[in-house]
Amino acid sequence: MELSQVRYFITLCRTLNFTRAAAQCNVTQLAFTRAIQRLEDELGGPLIFRERNLTQLTELGRAVRPHLTAMLDAADAARETAAAKTAPRRAETLKIGLGPGIGAGVIAGVIREVTGALDVTIHFNESGPAALIEAMLTDMLDCALLPEHCDLPERLNRWPLYRDNAVAVLPPEHRLLARNAVTAPDLAGETILHGEYCGGFAVRLAGATAVAPRLQRCNGNATQMLDLVAAGLGVALLSDRLRFAPPLASRPFTEPDLSRTILLTAVAGRPLNPAAASFLKLCRAQRFN
Amino acid sequence: MQTAAPETLQSRLDKLLASRRESAVWNAAYEEMVAELARTGFTDHALQIGEVFPDFVLPSAEGRLVSLARIRAAGPVIISFFRGEWCPFCRLMLAALAQSLPEIEAAGGTLLALTPETGGLAEDMKTYHRARFEVLSDVDCGVGLAAGVIFTVPKLYRARLVATKLDFPTRHGNGGWFLPVPATYIIQPDGVIAWRFLDVDFSHRPEPEDIIAALMSMRAPA
Repeated sequence: MELSQVRYFITLCRTLNFTRAAAQCNVTQLAFTRAIQRLEDELGGPLIFRERNLTQLTELGRAVRPHLTAMLDAADAARETAAAKTAPRRAETLKIGLGPGIGAGVIAGVIREVTGALDVTIHFNESGPAALIEAMLTDMLDCALLPEHCDLPERLNRWPLYRDNAVAVLPPEHRLLARNAVTAPDLAGETILHGEYCGGFAVRLAGATAVAPRLQRCNGNATQMLDLVAAGLGVALLSDRLRFAPPLASRPFTEPDLSRTILLTAVAGRPLNPAAASFLKLCRAQRFN
Repeated sequence: MQTAAPETLQSRLDKLLASRRESAVWNAAYEEMVAELARTGFTDHALQIGEVFPDFVLPSAEGRLVSLARIRAAGPVIISFFRGEWCPFCRLMLAALAQSLPEIEAAGGTLLALTPETGGLAEDMKTYHRARFEVLSDVDCGVGLAAGVIFTVPKLYRARLVATKLDFPTRHGNGGWFLPVPATYIIQPDGVIAWRFLDVDFSHRPEPEDIIAALMSMRAPA
Protein backbone atom coordinates (compact mmCIF):
# COMPACT_ATOMS: atom_id res chain seq x y z
CA MET A 1 0.00 0.00 0.00
CA GLU A 2 1.06 3.58 -0.53
CA LEU A 3 1.59 6.35 1.97
CA SER A 4 -0.75 8.67 0.04
CA GLN A 5 -3.55 6.09 -0.04
CA VAL A 6 -3.39 5.66 3.71
CA ARG A 7 -3.22 9.40 4.28
CA TYR A 8 -6.29 9.93 2.06
CA PHE A 9 -8.21 7.21 3.88
CA ILE A 10 -7.44 8.64 7.33
CA THR A 11 -8.45 12.11 6.14
CA LEU A 12 -11.69 10.65 4.79
CA CYS A 13 -12.31 8.92 8.13
CA ARG A 14 -12.18 12.33 9.81
CA THR A 15 -14.28 14.26 7.30
CA LEU A 16 -16.63 11.53 5.98
CA ASN A 17 -16.85 13.71 2.90
CA PHE A 18 -14.98 12.93 -0.35
CA THR A 19 -14.95 16.52 -1.61
CA ARG A 20 -13.63 18.00 1.62
CA ALA A 21 -11.11 15.18 2.17
CA ALA A 22 -9.73 15.52 -1.39
CA ALA A 23 -9.40 19.28 -0.90
CA GLN A 24 -7.58 18.80 2.40
CA CYS A 25 -5.16 16.42 0.67
CA ASN A 26 -4.68 18.84 -2.26
CA VAL A 27 -5.68 16.33 -4.94
CA THR A 28 -8.53 16.12 -7.41
CA GLN A 29 -11.56 14.17 -6.31
CA LEU A 30 -10.96 11.72 -9.16
CA ALA A 31 -7.41 10.96 -8.03
CA PHE A 32 -8.60 10.76 -4.44
CA THR A 33 -11.39 8.33 -5.25
CA ARG A 34 -9.08 6.11 -7.32
CA ALA A 35 -6.56 5.96 -4.48
CA ILE A 36 -9.27 4.90 -2.03
CA GLN A 37 -10.50 2.27 -4.50
CA ARG A 38 -6.98 0.86 -4.87
CA LEU A 39 -6.62 0.67 -1.10
CA GLU A 40 -9.99 -1.08 -0.87
CA ASP A 41 -8.86 -3.54 -3.53
CA GLU A 42 -5.68 -4.28 -1.60
CA LEU A 43 -7.38 -4.61 1.77
CA GLY A 44 -10.02 -6.93 0.39
CA GLY A 45 -13.28 -4.99 0.47
CA PRO A 46 -15.05 -1.65 0.72
CA LEU A 47 -13.78 0.64 3.47
CA ILE A 48 -16.40 3.30 2.89
CA PHE A 49 -20.15 2.96 2.61
CA ARG A 50 -21.50 5.48 0.08
CA GLU A 51 -25.20 6.16 -0.37
CA ARG A 52 -26.46 9.55 -1.52
CA ASN A 53 -25.35 12.01 1.14
CA LEU A 54 -24.36 9.36 3.62
CA THR A 55 -20.68 8.42 3.84
CA GLN A 56 -19.71 6.05 6.60
CA LEU A 57 -17.01 3.54 7.40
CA THR A 58 -17.82 -0.08 6.73
CA GLU A 59 -17.00 -2.72 9.33
CA LEU A 60 -13.71 -3.37 7.51
CA GLY A 61 -13.03 0.37 7.41
CA ARG A 62 -13.59 0.66 11.15
CA ALA A 63 -11.41 -2.39 11.78
CA VAL A 64 -8.41 -1.19 9.77
CA ARG A 65 -8.61 2.49 10.72
CA PRO A 66 -6.64 2.29 14.00
CA HIS A 67 -3.90 0.17 12.44
CA LEU A 68 -3.55 2.40 9.39
CA THR A 69 -3.57 5.46 11.65
CA ALA A 70 -0.73 3.98 13.72
CA MET A 71 1.26 3.19 10.58
CA LEU A 72 0.71 6.67 9.13
CA ASP A 73 1.68 8.28 12.44
CA ALA A 74 4.81 6.12 12.51
CA ALA A 75 5.73 7.22 8.98
CA ASP A 76 5.22 10.88 9.87
CA ALA A 77 7.07 10.54 13.18
CA ALA A 78 10.09 8.85 11.57
CA ARG A 79 10.36 11.71 9.08
CA GLU A 80 9.64 14.51 11.56
CA THR A 81 12.15 13.13 14.06
CA ALA A 82 14.77 13.07 11.30
CA ALA A 83 13.98 16.71 10.51
CA ALA A 84 14.05 17.72 14.18
CA LYS A 85 17.37 15.93 14.69
CA THR A 86 19.08 17.66 11.80
CA ALA A 87 17.51 21.10 12.28
CA PRO A 88 16.23 21.56 15.83
CA ARG A 89 13.36 24.01 15.80
CA ARG A 90 12.33 24.52 19.40
CA ALA A 91 12.52 22.79 22.71
CA GLU A 92 9.97 20.02 23.03
CA THR A 93 8.41 18.42 26.06
CA LEU A 94 8.07 14.77 26.90
CA LYS A 95 5.39 14.24 29.55
CA ILE A 96 5.47 10.81 31.16
CA GLY A 97 3.07 9.49 33.78
CA LEU A 98 4.32 6.98 36.33
CA GLY A 99 1.78 4.81 38.09
CA PRO A 100 1.98 3.95 41.79
CA GLY A 101 5.35 2.58 42.82
CA ILE A 102 6.78 2.73 39.29
CA GLY A 103 10.19 4.37 39.17
CA ALA A 104 11.90 6.17 36.30
CA GLY A 105 15.07 4.12 36.60
CA VAL A 106 13.88 1.49 34.11
CA ILE A 107 13.34 4.06 31.37
CA ALA A 108 16.41 6.18 32.19
CA GLY A 109 18.36 4.72 29.27
CA VAL A 110 15.55 5.56 26.85
CA ILE A 111 15.33 9.09 28.19
CA ARG A 112 19.10 9.48 27.84
CA GLU A 113 18.81 8.51 24.18
CA VAL A 114 15.92 10.93 23.50
CA THR A 115 17.57 13.86 25.31
CA GLY A 116 20.83 13.12 23.52
CA ALA A 117 19.14 13.39 20.13
CA LEU A 118 16.61 16.16 20.66
CA ASP A 119 16.20 19.39 22.63
CA VAL A 120 13.61 18.20 25.12
CA THR A 121 12.40 18.88 28.66
CA ILE A 122 11.18 15.86 30.60
CA HIS A 123 8.13 16.10 32.86
CA PHE A 124 7.14 13.31 35.23
CA ASN A 125 3.76 12.96 36.86
CA GLU A 126 3.45 10.26 39.51
CA SER A 127 -0.13 9.51 40.38
CA GLY A 128 -2.86 6.88 40.51
CA PRO A 129 -4.02 5.14 37.30
CA ALA A 130 -7.31 7.05 37.06
CA ALA A 131 -5.61 10.45 37.28
CA LEU A 132 -2.94 9.48 34.74
CA ILE A 133 -5.51 8.07 32.32
CA GLU A 134 -7.52 11.27 32.56
CA ALA A 135 -4.34 13.31 31.99
CA MET A 136 -3.54 11.31 28.86
CA LEU A 137 -7.07 11.63 27.49
CA THR A 138 -6.98 15.42 28.01
CA ASP A 139 -3.56 15.71 26.34
CA MET A 140 -1.74 16.64 29.54
CA LEU A 141 0.49 13.57 29.25
CA ASP A 142 2.07 11.88 26.23
CA CYS A 143 2.12 8.43 27.79
CA ALA A 144 2.16 6.59 31.10
CA LEU A 145 3.60 3.48 32.69
CA LEU A 146 0.74 1.74 34.45
CA PRO A 147 0.26 -1.59 36.19
CA GLU A 148 -1.81 -4.23 34.44
CA HIS A 149 -5.33 -4.82 35.74
CA CYS A 150 -6.18 -1.15 35.92
CA ASP A 151 -9.27 -0.09 34.05
CA LEU A 152 -7.89 1.13 30.70
CA PRO A 153 -10.35 2.67 28.24
CA GLU A 154 -10.48 1.41 24.64
CA ARG A 155 -8.84 4.58 23.39
CA LEU A 156 -5.56 3.72 25.08
CA ASN A 157 -2.96 1.61 23.33
CA ARG A 158 -1.04 -0.60 25.72
CA TRP A 159 2.19 -2.57 25.38
CA PRO A 160 3.63 -4.85 28.10
CA LEU A 161 7.08 -3.52 29.06
CA TYR A 162 8.38 -5.64 31.93
CA ARG A 163 7.59 -7.67 35.05
CA ASP A 164 7.87 -5.80 38.29
CA ASN A 165 8.82 -8.00 41.27
CA ALA A 166 8.39 -7.15 44.93
CA VAL A 167 11.23 -6.65 47.38
CA ALA A 168 11.08 -6.22 51.13
CA VAL A 169 12.79 -2.97 52.11
CA LEU A 170 14.37 -3.38 55.52
CA PRO A 171 15.89 -1.04 58.10
CA PRO A 172 19.49 -1.46 59.28
CA GLU A 173 20.20 -4.53 61.41
CA HIS A 174 16.79 -6.05 60.72
CA ARG A 175 16.64 -9.81 61.39
CA LEU A 176 15.54 -10.59 57.81
CA LEU A 177 18.76 -9.14 56.38
CA ALA A 178 20.28 -12.52 57.17
CA ARG A 179 17.95 -14.12 54.56
CA ASN A 180 18.55 -14.24 50.81
CA ALA A 181 14.81 -13.90 50.20
CA VAL A 182 11.70 -13.08 52.21
CA THR A 183 8.35 -14.93 52.22
CA ALA A 184 4.97 -14.19 53.76
CA PRO A 185 5.54 -16.23 56.95
CA ASP A 186 8.78 -14.30 57.55
CA LEU A 187 6.73 -11.11 57.91
CA ALA A 188 4.52 -12.46 60.73
CA GLY A 189 4.53 -9.93 63.50
CA GLU A 190 6.08 -7.25 61.29
CA THR A 191 4.48 -3.89 60.52
CA ILE A 192 4.30 -3.21 56.80
CA LEU A 193 4.18 0.45 55.90
CA HIS A 194 2.23 1.12 52.75
CA GLY A 195 0.67 4.02 50.91
CA GLU A 196 -0.77 5.20 47.62
CA TYR A 197 2.62 5.18 45.85
CA CYS A 198 3.79 1.72 46.94
CA GLY A 199 2.45 -0.26 44.03
CA GLY A 200 -0.12 -2.22 46.04
CA PHE A 201 2.25 -5.09 46.94
CA ALA A 202 1.34 -4.96 50.65
CA VAL A 203 -2.40 -4.98 49.98
CA ARG A 204 -2.04 -7.91 47.57
CA LEU A 205 -0.03 -9.79 50.18
CA ALA A 206 -2.72 -9.17 52.79
CA GLY A 207 -5.31 -10.59 50.39
CA ALA A 208 -3.22 -13.63 49.49
CA THR A 209 -2.08 -14.91 52.84
CA ALA A 210 -3.98 -16.52 55.70
CA VAL A 211 -1.84 -14.82 58.35
CA ALA A 212 -2.56 -11.19 57.58
CA PRO A 213 0.39 -8.92 58.30
CA ARG A 214 -0.13 -5.70 60.18
CA LEU A 215 -0.51 -2.93 57.65
CA GLN A 216 0.21 0.67 58.60
CA ARG A 217 -1.19 3.19 56.15
CA CYS A 218 1.28 5.95 55.41
CA ASN A 219 0.24 8.38 52.68
CA GLY A 220 2.84 10.66 51.17
CA ASN A 221 5.67 10.12 48.76
CA ALA A 222 8.04 7.15 48.77
CA THR A 223 10.91 9.15 50.26
CA GLN A 224 8.89 9.99 53.37
CA MET A 225 7.85 6.40 53.86
CA LEU A 226 11.39 5.13 53.42
CA ASP A 227 12.50 7.60 56.10
CA LEU A 228 10.09 5.81 58.46
CA VAL A 229 11.45 2.40 57.41
CA ALA A 230 15.00 3.60 58.08
CA ALA A 231 13.86 4.80 61.52
CA GLY A 232 12.61 1.29 62.32
CA LEU A 233 8.85 1.89 62.19
CA GLY A 234 8.32 -1.07 59.89
CA VAL A 235 9.25 -2.65 56.56
CA ALA A 236 7.96 -1.85 53.08
CA LEU A 237 7.12 -3.94 50.01
CA LEU A 238 8.14 -2.10 46.86
CA SER A 239 9.22 -2.69 43.26
CA ASP A 240 12.62 -4.26 42.69
CA ARG A 241 13.14 -1.62 40.01
CA LEU A 242 13.43 1.13 42.63
CA ARG A 243 16.75 2.00 44.21
CA PHE A 244 17.23 2.20 47.97
CA ALA A 245 20.07 4.18 49.46
CA PRO A 246 21.90 2.92 52.55
CA PRO A 247 21.22 2.39 55.38
CA LEU A 248 18.18 0.73 53.77
CA ALA A 249 18.61 -2.66 52.16
CA SER A 250 16.24 -4.91 50.24
CA ARG A 251 15.64 -8.62 49.84
CA PRO A 252 13.56 -10.31 47.09
CA PHE A 253 10.04 -11.18 48.21
CA THR A 254 9.38 -14.62 46.74
CA GLU A 255 6.22 -16.17 48.22
CA PRO A 256 3.48 -15.61 47.33
CA ASP A 257 4.28 -14.19 43.92
CA LEU A 258 3.29 -10.52 44.01
CA SER A 259 4.82 -9.58 40.66
CA ARG A 260 2.89 -7.44 38.21
CA THR A 261 3.26 -6.50 34.54
CA ILE A 262 3.94 -2.85 33.78
CA LEU A 263 2.34 -1.49 30.63
CA LEU A 264 3.34 1.43 28.44
CA THR A 265 0.12 3.26 27.54
CA ALA A 266 -0.71 6.11 25.17
CA VAL A 267 -3.82 7.47 23.48
CA ALA A 268 -4.40 5.72 20.15
CA GLY A 269 -4.25 7.90 17.08
CA ARG A 270 -2.96 11.04 18.76
CA PRO A 271 -0.09 12.70 16.90
CA LEU A 272 2.99 13.06 19.10
CA ASN A 273 5.94 15.41 18.92
CA PRO A 274 9.26 13.82 17.83
CA ALA A 275 10.48 13.44 21.42
CA ALA A 276 7.37 11.60 22.58
CA ALA A 277 7.20 9.51 19.40
CA SER A 278 10.87 8.54 19.79
CA PHE A 279 10.34 7.64 23.45
CA LEU A 280 7.44 5.33 22.60
CA LYS A 281 9.29 3.67 19.73
CA LEU A 282 12.43 3.11 21.79
CA CYS A 283 10.40 1.61 24.64
CA ARG A 284 8.43 -0.63 22.31
CA ALA A 285 11.49 -1.77 20.35
CA GLN A 286 13.43 -3.16 23.27
CA ARG A 287 13.11 -5.78 25.97
CA PHE A 288 13.39 -4.51 29.52
CA ASN A 289 13.59 -7.78 31.42
CA MET B 1 39.04 -31.32 -12.64
CA GLN B 2 36.15 -28.88 -12.29
CA THR B 3 35.41 -27.39 -8.88
CA ALA B 4 31.81 -26.76 -7.89
CA ALA B 5 30.75 -23.13 -8.01
CA PRO B 6 29.96 -21.71 -4.57
CA GLU B 7 26.30 -22.04 -3.71
CA THR B 8 24.44 -18.79 -4.24
CA LEU B 9 21.98 -17.33 -1.77
CA GLN B 10 19.19 -17.84 -4.30
CA SER B 11 20.01 -21.53 -4.71
CA ARG B 12 19.75 -21.97 -0.92
CA LEU B 13 16.47 -20.05 -0.94
CA ASP B 14 15.18 -22.21 -3.79
CA LYS B 15 15.98 -25.39 -1.85
CA LEU B 16 14.19 -24.03 1.21
CA LEU B 17 11.20 -23.05 -0.92
CA ALA B 18 11.04 -26.49 -2.52
CA SER B 19 11.00 -28.17 0.88
CA ARG B 20 8.28 -25.84 2.16
CA ARG B 21 6.12 -26.35 -0.91
CA GLU B 22 5.86 -30.03 -0.09
CA SER B 23 3.20 -28.94 2.38
CA ALA B 24 -0.02 -28.32 0.46
CA VAL B 25 -1.28 -25.90 3.10
CA TRP B 26 1.94 -23.88 3.03
CA ASN B 27 2.03 -23.90 -0.75
CA ALA B 28 -1.54 -22.62 -1.06
CA ALA B 29 -0.78 -19.77 1.34
CA TYR B 30 2.43 -18.93 -0.49
CA GLU B 31 0.77 -18.92 -3.92
CA GLU B 32 -2.10 -16.80 -2.65
CA MET B 33 0.28 -14.19 -1.27
CA VAL B 34 2.47 -13.94 -4.35
CA ALA B 35 -0.52 -13.84 -6.70
CA GLU B 36 -2.28 -11.20 -4.63
CA LEU B 37 0.76 -8.91 -4.50
CA ALA B 38 1.38 -9.35 -8.22
CA ARG B 39 -2.29 -8.60 -9.01
CA THR B 40 -2.27 -5.28 -7.14
CA GLY B 41 0.77 -4.00 -9.05
CA PHE B 42 2.79 -3.81 -5.89
CA THR B 43 6.25 -3.27 -7.36
CA ASP B 44 5.10 -0.27 -9.44
CA HIS B 45 3.94 1.65 -6.38
CA ALA B 46 7.02 1.19 -4.18
CA LEU B 47 9.79 3.80 -4.24
CA GLN B 48 11.68 3.70 -7.53
CA ILE B 49 15.28 4.30 -8.57
CA GLY B 50 15.84 8.07 -8.88
CA GLU B 51 13.36 8.94 -6.12
CA VAL B 52 14.48 10.25 -2.75
CA PHE B 53 14.24 7.77 0.12
CA PRO B 54 12.62 9.71 3.00
CA ASP B 55 14.89 10.34 5.96
CA PHE B 56 13.99 8.56 9.14
CA VAL B 57 15.08 7.96 12.71
CA LEU B 58 14.42 4.48 14.13
CA PRO B 59 15.43 2.59 17.27
CA SER B 60 18.26 0.11 16.93
CA ALA B 61 18.61 -3.33 18.49
CA GLU B 62 20.78 -1.73 21.19
CA GLY B 63 18.20 0.94 22.03
CA ARG B 64 19.88 3.80 20.16
CA LEU B 65 18.18 6.22 17.76
CA VAL B 66 19.68 5.74 14.30
CA SER B 67 19.36 8.49 11.71
CA LEU B 68 19.46 7.70 8.00
CA ALA B 69 20.59 11.27 7.19
CA ARG B 70 23.60 10.97 9.48
CA ILE B 71 24.68 7.60 8.07
CA ARG B 72 24.19 8.41 4.41
CA ALA B 73 26.32 11.55 4.82
CA ALA B 74 29.28 9.16 5.11
CA GLY B 75 28.48 7.08 2.02
CA PRO B 76 25.90 4.82 0.37
CA VAL B 77 23.42 3.07 2.64
CA ILE B 78 21.84 -0.31 1.97
CA ILE B 79 18.36 -0.50 3.48
CA SER B 80 17.01 -4.03 3.58
CA PHE B 81 13.49 -4.82 4.79
CA PHE B 82 13.03 -8.11 6.59
CA ARG B 83 9.82 -9.86 7.57
CA GLY B 84 11.14 -10.90 10.95
CA GLU B 85 13.31 -13.17 13.01
CA TRP B 86 10.75 -15.99 12.54
CA CYS B 87 11.16 -16.11 8.73
CA PRO B 88 13.63 -18.78 7.52
CA PHE B 89 14.07 -17.01 4.17
CA CYS B 90 15.05 -13.83 6.00
CA ARG B 91 17.46 -15.80 8.18
CA LEU B 92 19.22 -17.15 5.08
CA MET B 93 19.56 -13.66 3.66
CA LEU B 94 20.74 -12.17 6.94
CA ALA B 95 23.37 -14.88 7.22
CA ALA B 96 24.55 -14.13 3.69
CA LEU B 97 24.71 -10.40 4.41
CA ALA B 98 26.54 -10.94 7.69
CA GLN B 99 29.08 -13.05 5.84
CA SER B 100 29.49 -10.47 3.08
CA LEU B 101 29.65 -7.46 5.38
CA PRO B 102 33.44 -6.97 5.04
CA GLU B 103 33.09 -6.71 1.25
CA ILE B 104 30.04 -4.45 1.57
CA GLU B 105 31.96 -2.15 3.90
CA ALA B 106 35.04 -2.27 1.70
CA ALA B 107 32.83 -1.06 -1.15
CA GLY B 108 31.86 1.91 1.02
CA GLY B 109 28.38 0.74 2.02
CA THR B 110 26.64 0.80 5.39
CA LEU B 111 23.96 -1.81 5.89
CA LEU B 112 20.72 -1.18 7.80
CA ALA B 113 18.35 -4.13 8.33
CA LEU B 114 14.77 -3.11 9.15
CA THR B 115 12.27 -5.40 10.84
CA PRO B 116 8.69 -4.70 11.93
CA GLU B 117 9.30 -6.65 15.13
CA THR B 118 9.48 -5.08 18.57
CA GLY B 119 10.02 -6.17 22.19
CA GLY B 120 13.72 -7.03 21.78
CA LEU B 121 13.27 -9.23 18.69
CA ALA B 122 15.57 -6.98 16.64
CA GLU B 123 18.25 -7.66 19.23
CA ASP B 124 17.55 -11.41 18.99
CA MET B 125 17.95 -11.21 15.22
CA LYS B 126 21.23 -9.37 15.55
CA THR B 127 22.57 -11.74 18.20
CA TYR B 128 21.56 -14.86 16.27
CA HIS B 129 23.51 -13.75 13.21
CA ARG B 130 26.32 -12.10 15.19
CA ALA B 131 25.60 -9.19 12.89
CA ARG B 132 27.85 -6.15 13.09
CA PHE B 133 25.38 -4.08 11.06
CA GLU B 134 22.48 -2.14 12.57
CA VAL B 135 19.17 -3.95 12.95
CA LEU B 136 16.39 -1.39 13.37
CA SER B 137 12.82 -1.81 14.57
CA ASP B 138 10.48 -0.22 12.04
CA VAL B 139 7.84 0.19 14.73
CA ASP B 140 4.31 0.14 13.20
CA CYS B 141 5.93 -0.19 9.73
CA GLY B 142 6.12 3.59 9.25
CA VAL B 143 9.29 3.60 7.13
CA GLY B 144 8.05 0.61 5.15
CA LEU B 145 4.83 2.49 4.40
CA ALA B 146 6.79 5.55 3.27
CA ALA B 147 8.79 3.26 0.96
CA GLY B 148 5.61 1.61 -0.33
CA VAL B 149 6.70 -1.93 0.60
CA ILE B 150 4.00 -2.79 3.17
CA PHE B 151 1.07 -5.10 2.53
CA THR B 152 -1.65 -6.75 4.58
CA VAL B 153 -0.99 -10.45 5.10
CA PRO B 154 -3.58 -12.38 3.01
CA LYS B 155 -6.03 -14.75 4.66
CA LEU B 156 -4.42 -18.12 4.00
CA TYR B 157 -0.95 -16.96 4.97
CA ARG B 158 -2.31 -15.34 8.12
CA ALA B 159 -4.10 -18.55 9.03
CA ARG B 160 -0.86 -20.48 8.56
CA LEU B 161 1.03 -18.05 10.81
CA VAL B 162 -1.67 -18.30 13.46
CA ALA B 163 -1.59 -22.09 13.24
CA THR B 164 2.15 -22.03 13.90
CA LYS B 165 1.52 -19.83 16.97
CA LEU B 166 3.25 -16.79 15.52
CA ASP B 167 1.68 -14.00 17.53
CA PHE B 168 2.09 -11.02 15.22
CA PRO B 169 0.06 -8.61 17.41
CA THR B 170 2.53 -9.20 20.25
CA ARG B 171 5.63 -9.34 18.06
CA HIS B 172 4.69 -6.12 16.21
CA GLY B 173 2.94 -4.39 19.10
CA ASN B 174 -0.12 -3.83 16.93
CA GLY B 175 -2.91 -5.90 15.46
CA GLY B 176 -2.49 -4.75 11.87
CA TRP B 177 -1.04 -7.94 10.34
CA PHE B 178 1.20 -5.90 8.06
CA LEU B 179 4.48 -7.12 6.60
CA PRO B 180 7.07 -5.63 4.27
CA VAL B 181 8.07 -7.34 1.07
CA PRO B 182 11.78 -8.06 1.53
CA ALA B 183 12.94 -5.10 -0.57
CA THR B 184 16.51 -3.82 -0.65
CA TYR B 185 17.46 -0.26 -1.57
CA ILE B 186 20.81 1.44 -2.00
CA ILE B 187 20.65 5.11 -1.11
CA GLN B 188 23.21 7.61 -2.36
CA PRO B 189 24.68 10.18 0.06
CA ASP B 190 22.23 12.75 -1.35
CA GLY B 191 19.28 10.52 -0.43
CA VAL B 192 18.44 9.43 -3.99
CA ILE B 193 17.79 5.73 -4.60
CA ALA B 194 20.54 4.37 -6.83
CA TRP B 195 19.56 0.70 -6.89
CA ARG B 196 16.78 -1.51 -5.65
CA PHE B 197 15.71 -5.13 -5.53
CA LEU B 198 12.02 -5.74 -5.01
CA ASP B 199 10.08 -8.89 -5.68
CA VAL B 200 6.62 -9.85 -4.50
CA ASP B 201 7.92 -13.38 -3.98
CA PHE B 202 9.58 -13.42 -0.57
CA SER B 203 11.78 -16.35 -1.61
CA HIS B 204 13.53 -14.09 -4.13
CA ARG B 205 16.34 -12.02 -2.63
CA PRO B 206 19.29 -10.11 -4.01
CA GLU B 207 22.68 -11.79 -4.01
CA PRO B 208 25.18 -9.99 -1.77
CA GLU B 209 27.48 -9.91 -4.82
CA ASP B 210 24.86 -7.87 -6.70
CA ILE B 211 24.69 -5.38 -3.84
CA ILE B 212 28.49 -5.13 -3.75
CA ALA B 213 28.62 -4.68 -7.54
CA ALA B 214 26.05 -1.88 -7.32
CA LEU B 215 28.11 -0.19 -4.60
CA MET B 216 31.27 -0.53 -6.68
CA SER B 217 29.57 0.98 -9.73
CA MET B 218 28.62 3.99 -7.60
CA ARG B 219 32.29 4.48 -6.79
CA ALA B 220 33.43 4.20 -10.41
CA PRO B 221 34.40 7.54 -11.98
CA ALA B 222 31.85 8.90 -14.46
